[in-house]
Amino acid sequence: MKSSTKRSMLTAALICALTAISVAVPAQDKEAVIKNREALMKGQGKDLGSVKAYTEGKGDLAQAEASAVNLTQTIRKIPDAFPPGTGGTDLDGKFATKPVIWSDWNKFLDAQTTAAAKADALLVAVKSGDKAAIQTAFGDLGKNGCGACHETFREKLKD
Amino acid sequence: MPRDVPRETQRLTAAALAAICLAFGGLAARAADTDPAERGAYLATAAGCADCHTDAKNGGRPYAGGRALTTPFGTFYAPNITPDLDTGIGRWSNAQLLNALREGVSPDGSNYFPVFPYPSFTKITDDDARAIKAYLLAQPAVRQSNRAHDVAFPFSWRFLLNGWKLLFFSPGPFRPAPEGGEAYNRGAYLVTALAHCGECHTPRNWFGAMEPSRFLAGTTHGPDGKAVPNITPDLETGIGKWSEDDIVALLKDGQTPEFDFVGGAMAEVVRNTTRLTDADRRAIAVYLRTLPAVRSETRAAK
Repeated sequence: MKSSTKRSMLTAALICALTAISVAVPAQDKEAVIKNREALMKGQGKDLGSVKAYTEGKGDLAQAEASAVNLTQTIRKIPDAFPPGTGGTDLDGKFATKPVIWSDWNKFLDAQTTAAAKADALLVAVKSGDKAAIQTAFGDLGKNGCGACHETFREKLKD
Repeated sequence: MPRDVPRETQRLTAAALAAICLAFGGLAARAADTDPAERGAYLATAAGCADCHTDAKNGGRPYAGGRALTTPFGTFYAPNITPDLDTGIGRWSNAQLLNALREGVSPDGSNYFPVFPYPSFTKITDDDARAIKAYLLAQPAVRQSNRAHDVAFPFSWRFLLNGWKLLFFSPGPFRPAPEGGEAYNRGAYLVTALAHCGECHTPRNWFGAMEPSRFLAGTTHGPDGKAVPNITPDLETGIGKWSEDDIVALLKDGQTPEFDFVGGAMAEVVRNTTRLTDADRRAIAVYLRTLPAVRSETRAAK
């Protein structure tokens, strides 16, 4: 192989590598990523609200079930909502990500997998319509799914 | 042999009687032994003893101490409160435990730093303190020496704590308000004594003492330098818009009215409050909603 060909191939590889890095964290999109993950979390809050409303006799079962289905899906979108390089405070300056999300990504994935399993259990309970079972599953998802992640990976900056 | 039959019966009767006596005696003894310990387990949960006295992050054994508590005055390491005779509290008398909780004085007569929340625990009733001790002594003993605190001069001079106590510490058991009602008084006891909510949620003065006039008004300099929210019923800066049910839901599932789930140190607390009775969670809510509202922003300094 001619050395000029080798050099141009190396250059191409380097360009590809650099492009890959910049594609992973497009600076202009960081705000969009943060906005998107806030919307994702707030949507989950809403879905949890509608499940809870049913257990309190304030909402209907069909709505609760649709919300529980949503939860099982949106919780699985969490890893994609945290691409590397998108750490920092949220748009209200209320919360911030902790760097451990990316320094220990597997731990983050484990916590997310746990939460997803608990959302699945909540859906099973909602489908049964048994309010006591729903309350138990709701508490478990809240404390040991959502809350456990927030405890380890989220920083509260102000109220 | 016919003559032996009655003797045999006698023997059997005696054995049966002995067995019955033993059974009853055993039951009575068990009731006396385990009842306070079981009650103590519940109280220790409400007080969150295990949270500070277990170095969970580093795989420490329950109640064996070693957890680092970072404060503006230095880093404190919680002591071993397992029944180990040499490194724990296995040799402590009831009076010594009461003295520790009530007066902040260790068995060797020295003062505890108020990172041990005795300004709150002083209100714990004798019965409850004894039940907590019974529970702690029923836990597995762990041999683990206490680590010395890492506190800078002049705070490292323990005798200065005598002055601190004179100024800021008012010992004495909880006194229920006769007009308050059962739930209010139970809530007051849980919040101010056992669960020691004020230790994190009340701002502290320059000497690290809680400011009584701003009880539960939140602080920007809580544990580990984190902001701790105002939980007085102020409408703007506190939780005045929360219903009793909202407070109960937070204590049960860690869920806020916006369906967020609390993280940080409160997630640890919720692991305890979720194990309390519904009546106790409700009592806490009832009491919190009667507090004077204090306007106080608790944004973190950064």
